Amino acid sequence: MSITRRHLLVGGAGLAAGAAVSIPSPLPKYHFDRRRKRSRVAILNVDQYSPKVEELLESALRLFSIDVAGKAVLLKPNLVDYLPGDAINTHPSLVLAAAECFRRLGAKSVEVGEGPGHQRDTQLVLSQSGYEDCLRSEKIRFVDLNHDELVRTRLLAGYSGMKQLWLPRTVLDADFVVSMPKIKAHHWSGVTLSMKNMFGIVPGMRYGWPKNILHWAGIQQSILDICATVSVQFVIADGIIAMEGNGPLNGSQRHLGKIVISNDPVAADATCALLMGFEPNRIAHIREASRFLGNSSTALTDQVGEPLKAPGVPFQVVPDWEYLHYSM
Amino acid sequence: MNERARVAAVGVLRSIGTSRGVLLTRSDSAITSDHVTSDELLRGRLLDELTRRQLPSGGWATSTTSKQAALESSCLAALALGLRSDGAHRVQDFLLRVQNPNGSWPAFVGDDPDGGWVTSLALIALRDYVPGIPARLRGFHWLLKFAGKESNWLWKWKFRTTDRHVRFDPDKYGWPWFPDTVSWVVPTSFAILALNQVPCSCGDLGRAPHRVTLGIEMLMDRACPSGGWNAGNGVVYGAPLAPHVDDTAVALLALSERKEHLVAQSGVLWLERTVQGLRSPWTLAWVMLALAAHGRPIEFLLTRLRSLPDLAAIEDTSTVAAISLALGCHDTLSAFGVAT
Repeated sequence: MSITRRHLLVGGAGLAAGAAVSIPSPLPKYHFDRRRKRSRVAILNVDQYSPKVEELLESALRLFSIDVAGKAVLLKPNLVDYLPGDAINTHPSLVLAAAECFRRLGAKSVEVGEGPGHQRDTQLVLSQSGYEDCLRSEKIRFVDLNHDELVRTRLLAGYSGMKQLWLPRTVLDADFVVSMPKIKAHHWSGVTLSMKNMFGIVPGMRYGWPKNILHWAGIQQSILDICATVSVQFVIADGIIAMEGNGPLNGSQRHLGKIVISNDPVAADATCALLMGFEPNRIAHIREASRFLGNSSTALTDQVGEPLKAPGVPFQVVPDWEYLHYSM
Repeated sequence: MNERARVAAVGVLRSIGTSRGVLLTRSDSAITSDHVTSDELLRGRLLDELTRRQLPSGGWATSTTSKQAALESSCLAALALGLRSDGAHRVQDFLLRVQNPNGSWPAFVGDDPDGGWVTSLALIALRDYVPGIPARLRGFHWLLKFAGKESNWLWKWKFRTTDRHVRFDPDKYGWPWFPDTVSWVVPTSFAILALNQVPCSCGDLGRAPHRVTLGIEMLMDRACPSGGWNAGNGVVYGAPLAPHVDDTAVALLALSERKEHLVAQSGVLWLERTVQGLRSPWTLAWVMLALAAHGRPIEFLLTRLRSLPDLAAIEDTSTVAAISLALGCHDTLSAFGVAT
């Protein structure tokens, strides 16, 4: 790929924006180090959504030492909106499969929670996206995080300057939070993966639709503050049908044929970024999170599933994010 | 049902009974007396359920699983109950108690005191409550000062020059959900409905018509190319985004005085086309109100609402209230200041 002046300008602007996240500050932006010595990621090859996904997921989860016995598990899918034929949301069959697996692993309860960022009528999104029937058939409770009881919560990192957020009690009371993003390119944040997916816990009832305060506080910065405050214990990312281009709503379907699971959201997101053809450390929140929330380096990650291979053709992105492509 | 709730419910049923004609659609297609009766009963059951859910504080939580009084649920429930029940007076007292010192209302009890979009709903919910007049005036003053961030020259300049990924005209601003963010469709629509009820033009309140006009211009500007509205981003990165049904309905309520405007008509057409097949009660309720406000038939929506199972069992209190409001369409539009 030839590098044009425009690429350099766009890349430079993007890197400058990313650098703003990591500008040295006299005050530390975080006060703890949650990184594992080594993280574990499994890439699963899955060609299509089918009942076989549950079997495959169950086998893959055995590769991790997950202890959810007696715990309240919260599955947080990416459920944004519904447009027929588009790959906007985490597929409901994957959420069902995950719920069944965690139940079999002895979870005290498994709930699904989400606060859609665009649609105020969560019920409508649930019914149109196929979630309502699936959840009802398996008797899985759904919590609308946009309208849950709220608790004032001090943010455990200081990137956005927000200091505190009102967060849903269901999320704060959960023992084991599983982020289940749809693997997508995103026009504002470059990617939407397991860490960006946590925007959905910020309640619309307090912050509106969309959660515009997070945009003004800085998307990359807000992702870091939220993920520092609410710990994601596990990731199951839906990349069977992913989205490229003008995501999170108007992109194009991209058949990636992968599910990525991990015990580390930073390792999961770095792996997903590589699968998309992006350089993970060019994504500001992944790079910065690797200082204290998890491991983005492949050297610190054990790939226990299928081998990690770059795609022949990287995911398309809007022009502002072309510098993410590692071929540049 | 306790005695107080029973009395309240009976009172509400009586009040509905006094306004039978209100369940006629705008096209004057009469709803049969059987339907009127069944709709009265259904509305009575929903109001009974709302009364049962009212918290000791006088407010309502968002759902049956919470005890945290939320303002959207409380205001919609107050509007649904009308002025005739004990519960309505309790919620109006509740609204006066929880008003922020700056004149705004919080999103929920215990929230920070900076206020937000629900102020518009509270102002509408208190419209006929005489002890609420001073509180309402403070609320109107706050609402007139509350504006999207793009109203500031600096951000206006930014959106005109360096940040042009979302297509909109920053000169046409309305109201944000919460301070320090830009204008969005739903809070702007409710603010227009509230400011249309400003009781006088004394002092700063004289600015209300100007803000309403600007807000209407903002709604026209933010419409989606295919008709209708979403949260407020019609076109992003050159691509048109899809409208949302409930956002469109709320915007059309605010534009009921502009029925002839092409953007409003296009929104109505999109709404009528899109609502076919939808079964979400929250959305159906708002669409009923919007179409009635624009003189369109709503009988098919009533039929669909009636067919939904056990509406009173819906966990979300705002939805129960919204359905009650839709079933009392005429009274609701009157409360919103929408001419019928």
